[in-house]
Amino acid sequence: MNEFYRNIFDALIMLDGLEKDLNIRHFSPNELKVFYTIVTQNALNEGDSNISEIVNCSGMSRSTVYKTLKKLSHEGIINLTQSEDDGRESLITLVGNS
Amino acid sequence: MKNFFIVSITGFVFSSVLWILWHFIDTHVLFFAGEGVFFYFPHAARVLCIVYFGYKAIPGLYLGELFGPNVIEPGFYSFPIYITSLISVMSVPLTLSMLNSLGFALGHTISSPLNRRNYKHVFLITFISAGFNSLLVNLYLSRNNLSYANAITDIDQVLSFFIGDIFGTVLVFIFLSFLLKPILKQAQNQ
Repeated sequence: MNEFYRNIFDALIMLDGLEKDLNIRHFSPNELKVFYTIVTQNALNEGDSNISEIVNCSGMSRSTVYKTLKKLSHEGIINLTQSEDDGRESLITLVGNS
Repeated sequence: MKNFFIVSITGFVFSSVLWILWHFIDTHVLFFAGEGVFFYFPHAARVLCIVYFGYKAIPGLYLGELFGPNVIEPGFYSFPIYITSLISVMSVPLTLSMLNSLGFALGHTISSPLNRRNYKHVFLITFISAGFNSLLVNLYLSRNNLSYANAITDIDQVLSFFIGDIFGTVLVFIFLSFLLKPILKQAQNQ
């Protein structure tokens, strides 16, 4: 029985390596909603979106959107850059779309 | 003996479930209907079970290969599949034997020439075994004037078997790594 579990463990390590290289991850419901809103807004704007647009379109509180955006930025899914037109506003770019 | 039964049952269940899933998608899912040859899931069961459980997984896998087409959907293939299923299952041990004879023995450490904990090495085994499977099965079919329904045994079929085995296995691996992510996380935390 131990041998069986040892074999399963090896298979799990192999799948773990694949999962890490593919960067498969689970979004939380908030992350999913914010990410979906960013994708939609960027498509509508044909470019970057700003945080106010994401707050308005997602229907979530500003603080929740901020926290989620920071997390997505930290994980390299989006880039946050300061707007040249309005210094108080940040622009959101999807990584790979810039 | 106990380990042999557990391995056999695992191989049988895994192979059967993948065949049933593949068959369902091949026959019922609109966009993929009739295109099942390009994503043959059960090859993943052959590779995973033989790489991780060894040659004692062969009987369970072979029964699993026969179970779907003979019990779930009798008459799915227009000829007896006893030989073709055996060739398909044996394509993985054949690959491992060939690699072993070339000096790439299967192990589970970083210094092993063929490390079963490294998915790239497992993909190499998948790639070579898919080649053996597609060539040998189609060779057997053409030598015995057999063919799948509405299909001609030619080079196109060899290529589609090859692509189907690889693509099906990759899909199963990705699905498993996604499905087993919570278990992997838990194992890492312990």
